[in-house]
Amino acid sequence: MTFERKKIGIVCPYGWDTPGGVQAHVADLATYLISQGHTVSVLAPTSSEENLPDYLVSAGKPIAIPYNGAVARILFGPVAFSRVRNWISNGDFDLIHLHEPAIPSISLLACFAAEGPMVGTFHASSKRQRAIFAIGPILEPVIEKLTARIAVSEAARTTLREHLETDAVVVPNGIYAKPLSQGKIDPRWSGNTIGFIGRFEEPRKGLSVLIEALPEVVRKHPDIKILVAGPGDSLEYLKDVPADLRHRFTFLGRITESEKADFLRSIGVYVAPNTGGESFGIILAEALAAGAAVVASDIPAFQTLLGDGSYGTLFQSENAHSLALKINHVLENENERDALRAAGKEYAQSFDWDVVAQRIYEVYEMAMVGLGKVTLSSDNRGFNKFLGRQ
Amino acid sequence: MNFTPLLLLLTLALFAWYLSLLAGRLDRLHHRVETSWANLDGLLQRRAAIALEIARSDFADPASSLLLTFASHQAREASVKDRSQAESGLSGALAILRETSGAHSDLAVQDLFRELGELNAKIEVAVALHVESVNRTQLIRSKWIIRTFRLAGSAPLPVTYEFESDVL
Repeated sequence: MTFERKKIGIVCPYGWDTPGGVQAHVADLATYLISQGHTVSVLAPTSSEENLPDYLVSAGKPIAIPYNGAVARILFGPVAFSRVRNWISNGDFDLIHLHEPAIPSISLLACFAAEGPMVGTFHASSKRQRAIFAIGPILEPVIEKLTARIAVSEAARTTLREHLETDAVVVPNGIYAKPLSQGKIDPRWSGNTIGFIGRFEEPRKGLSVLIEALPEVVRKHPDIKILVAGPGDSLEYLKDVPADLRHRFTFLGRITESEKADFLRSIGVYVAPNTGGESFGIILAEALAAGAAVVASDIPAFQTLLGDGSYGTLFQSENAHSLALKINHVLENENERDALRAAGKEYAQSFDWDVVAQRIYEVYEMAMVGLGKVTLSSDNRGFNKFLGRQ
Repeated sequence: MNFTPLLLLLTLALFAWYLSLLAGRLDRLHHRVETSWANLDGLLQRRAAIALEIARSDFADPASSLLLTFASHQAREASVKDRSQAESGLSGALAILRETSGAHSDLAVQDLFRELGELNAKIEVAVALHVESVNRTQLIRSKWIIRTFRLAGSAPLPVTYEFESDVL
């Protein structure tokens, strides 16, 4: 399929320097669109001006506020608003793509300020909250301006329907399936090992559930080892782990993409004990693409992603006994495990960027029909024209 | 001094401003319904054209050729209200043909089916967008304040387009 070259603006609400799912998604999408010949500009808050990619425009320094069970580094306020307006009026965009426009951030500001073809992607999923009743009426007319809405998962789509009464097209997050599938078995990590990737200090990632389940796993598999990759203070974390289990833990810190592929290929089983707050589970898609056998909690996002257990094993969320049983089962049944690995690897190809970006671009095309360029809505107001303001 | 008239005037002005905001919102939604429909309509016309082309090719047997021609003709002729039903009929006819056809060696026909597949993906998104904008507009138009002040003016109430995407 041939692409028409377009000018596309993407707004990322979270601080660019902190690692996170939305940031990674935006970076990959921007890189992909550029490789297809489009002109892309990404507006995001950044803490430092160093090491930024060419396409990035800084909107200022992010502020850390608690949101949805985690600390979100976002940005808003009058200064940010004027930067957003400048970015829109100077960008001359054919389309702007706003990520997570329903939280107080520069995405929401851009949605408020702009008019024309706009696509919004909703990443988060959360339970229906009281606060929504209060902010709904304010949010509604703004979100309504989006020409098309994308939800990254069925869970995110349900959240959107419950909170804002609008529907969305589901397009999953993308992964680079090919490099992941080329991992090699590393003897340091292979054998009876349990792998975990993520910010292990965050309670909702559920590493504590795994620790609780460990004694039962150790009884069946005395040589079991736990490999944890991801940023965090491991010494501090180990203090809370029972003393007799500590020697089984290895903390690898942050790992590179190629190490990740080897890691996921080598480990005996990948465990995702997340207790909630997860909307898509990109790491599970990556684990499948690399050919890992996955045991995950049965939260809605993981259930959907794993095809109700066709591509990985599900255990009852926050139930350590259930988790231990499943881990033991997977480690003991070699044939079943290999079948799951193969099925998961095949299935994960549907999350490859080639497929996903094509679908996102299809939504772009539909949104761009007949709406012209993106403009500032204040420029279109009758009295501003009348007063000759620019 | 009596401020009551002044206050009254101010309240009225604020109210008028609020109404103009609502009207602007509604106008944008109506505009969106028009564009999303125009887009969907265009895509559906293209699909009908492809269906006709398949019907004319020697790949289709006379019976399915007749069925396809009839269905695509009906889809093109249908009024906005009956459109979704007619298009579903065409989807059904195409699905039957695709199921029974199996692998076909003719490159031209393969091309047609590939084009149809790409078009279907687009139609799916276009339908979702259109349904969303119609629902939104209907929701806003049912608010009492908009009905009382007749903010919708003479714009016709958008018609819901029911389209079973699973038959695509």
